[in-house]
Amino acid sequence: MDDYITRIVFRYILLFILMYGFYIVLHGHLSPGGGFAGGMILGMGMLLYFLIFGLQWKAKLRTLPMDAGIVLIGFGAILEGVKFLLPHEHGPVGMPGTLFSVGIISVVNFAIGLLVASAILNIFYLLVEEE
Amino acid sequence: MKVSLLLANYPYVIAVILFCLGCLCILTQHNLIKKVIGINIMQTGIFLFYIAVGNINGGVAPIYDPNLPEGVLYINPLPSALILTGIVVSFSVTAFALAVIVKLYNYYGTVNAPDIMRMR
Amino acid sequence: MHLWKTMPFLLIILSLLPAFVMAIFARWKREVCPYLAIGSIAFSFAVSCLLAFRVMGGETIHYHVSDWLPPWGIEIFIDELAVMMLLLLTGCFLLITIFSIKALPKEIPPLATGWYYTLLLLTLTAMMGMVVTNDLFNMYVMVEVTGIGACALVVAKGEKLSTEATLRYLMLSSLGAGFFLFGIGFLYQITGNLNIPYVATELARVREQYPFLLWATMSFITVGLGVKAALFPLHIWLPDAHSSAPSSSSAILSGLVVKVYIVSMLRIYFMVFGFEVFHETYMRYLILFLATLAIIGGSFFAFVQLELKRRLAYSTVAQIGYIFLGFGLGTVWGITAALLHIIIHAFMKTCLFLSAGAIYYQTGRKKVTHFSGLGYQMPVTMAAFTIASLSMVGIPLFGGFITKYALAMGSLEANNPYFIILIVISGLLNAAYYFPIIWQAYFTSGHDVKLKMDLVPLTMLIPIVIMALGIIYMGIFPGGPLSFLEKAVTRFVF
Repeated sequence: MDDYITRIVFRYILLFILMYGFYIVLHGHLSPGGGFAGGMILGMGMLLYFLIFGLQWKAKLRTLPMDAGIVLIGFGAILEGVKFLLPHEHGPVGMPGTLFSVGIISVVNFAIGLLVASAILNIFYLLVEEE
Repeated sequence: MKVSLLLANYPYVIAVILFCLGCLCILTQHNLIKKVIGINIMQTGIFLFYIAVGNINGGVAPIYDPNLPEGVLYINPLPSALILTGIVVSFSVTAFALAVIVKLYNYYGTVNAPDIMRMR
Repeated sequence: MHLWKTMPFLLIILSLLPAFVMAIFARWKREVCPYLAIGSIAFSFAVSCLLAFRVMGGETIHYHVSDWLPPWGIEIFIDELAVMMLLLLTGCFLLITIFSIKALPKEIPPLATGWYYTLLLLTLTAMMGMVVTNDLFNMYVMVEVTGIGACALVVAKGEKLSTEATLRYLMLSSLGAGFFLFGIGFLYQITGNLNIPYVATELARVREQYPFLLWATMSFITVGLGVKAALFPLHIWLPDAHSSAPSSSSAILSGLVVKVYIVSMLRIYFMVFGFEVFHETYMRYLILFLATLAIIGGSFFAFVQLELKRRLAYSTVAQIGYIFLGFGLGTVWGITAALLHIIIHAFMKTCLFLSAGAIYYQTGRKKVTHFSGLGYQMPVTMAAFTIASLSMVGIPLFGGFITKYALAMGSLEANNPYFIILIVISGLLNAAYYFPIIWQAYFTSGHDVKLKMDLVPLTMLIPIVIMALGIIYMGIFPGGPLSFLEKAVTRFVF
């Protein structure tokens, strides 16, 4: 999809998509949304990038995001698994209603967001790259 | 009287209609992509059912907020949390089904089920 | 001490983790993958043995995930039934994985061999989770993950037929999962709980108010899990999927995956609805009717198939009928027979499918009409095959006889002696489609009748032989397993 209009519009829109995704991930405990929804938005933003520019890359380079995605999925899963292994360990709890108010749950949300975003990228790559 | 009962509980009615439509779509459509869409419609019906179970008329989202007045009702968060898991599962099923369909398309050059059966 | 307490949870997590580590090895060092998988499964087997040791001491294990107490959190609950299934799953998986070290590269494309073990471990984890969980929604998630893992095990072969079978399997299994989820939704709506004992107490209190909703719930759950467990009219996905998969996948799917759903169904029927509801609502007559159809119909369909693995797959449909028959009889002996048949059929079907894989490995033969003289070319494999077939028919001294005996006792106990006739007829039908294979292998003279040793590697022979020995052991000394299973049944029936 090497098109002039998509490239120019995309250049302006990408940052907003990513910012919105991070906003939803980080405010998961304050508003509806959270790790999964935010991670979906992040993944879609990056997917848009690879749809527009990614096919110009060399074939060898294109498998790189996939490997990175696998590692990130594992990393996110481990961070999420920590929640199950540490019973009732919330970490520092601040003022209710502010951004830093839930301790470890923010970290777990962030891990889920990372996991979902890289999972989406991986699925896309497996669908496109496999012969 | 029965009709008014149905109208009062309209989310359940819609959930059942969506479920039946999804089942019909899976079982009768010939196009494989439409079958996958049928799976998604069916699961949307189920998710709607769960959300309707957890909902309270006039309730707010179940997030603790000190600014809200006393005595406000929070909706039941458990079905929503369950449905989040359900959505993830249905997402992965859809992704896997699409991957299999891509593979079938590479083999047969069509996504129409009767054509595939004929070519076997 | 903390580790001792979290053991049930570690069992799940520590077989999930290597599944994802395997994904990295699958791209770099493909040769390491089988050994990593074997190590992980052997660890699970050891943990299951420890748990079995604890449960046999008369203890039932409750573990609350991340210390949330039961009505809210997920609870892991291990009783005799769960321990039996854990031992069966991990033991059979260990043998099948050892088998697939050498057998797999010949059957699936080399690129997929690494990923195959990821799927193997994922399926094992989901099945173990389904067996040990005490939470209905968690059970649904595990059902769905098992479904995806099983489909992926079929598609790993990457041929036209297996891809097509996978799609049909996937469609029907997600349809079944949808029905199951709707049933759980009804239960949640009636009782407001998802933890099985809490649902049961609440349901016993309010079930008079919702006669129709209860009926709808039961039928939804029966259809949902019935599709997945291939109850007779809903079995249409099974023969294609099981016969076109690689032979180690066929062994897993046919021997273990369909059984786990039956165990879940058993738990829901007897631990949630309770024994009285099962007898009141006439659901057991439906199950008995479908089981009868399955036994007769599956045998007849198997009789006309000429490809060995297809014949074995249709035979699975008939054997699932036995399990449902014992389940539908609803007496202690009947359910014990169902559970015993789960174990013995896992042994028999794994042995048969692995033998089919070994035969394909050495000679490349697939049709049952091409088996002449095979008994002299590969004596060990054919001996194991013969033992499993004899057990399938129900000859005394083999495992299959014990379940047939227990089923007959169960039908006498339920005042329904007609089922004994059914059991005898189905034994004859089994003989009609297994004995010609054996006859051809041993008694029709091939080109050379010199006895030689099998040419398949030792890692493929040993699992087959162990399975065959297991069948003989179960046939000669059934006392220990039977009394253990009876303890398991009495825990949740009365």
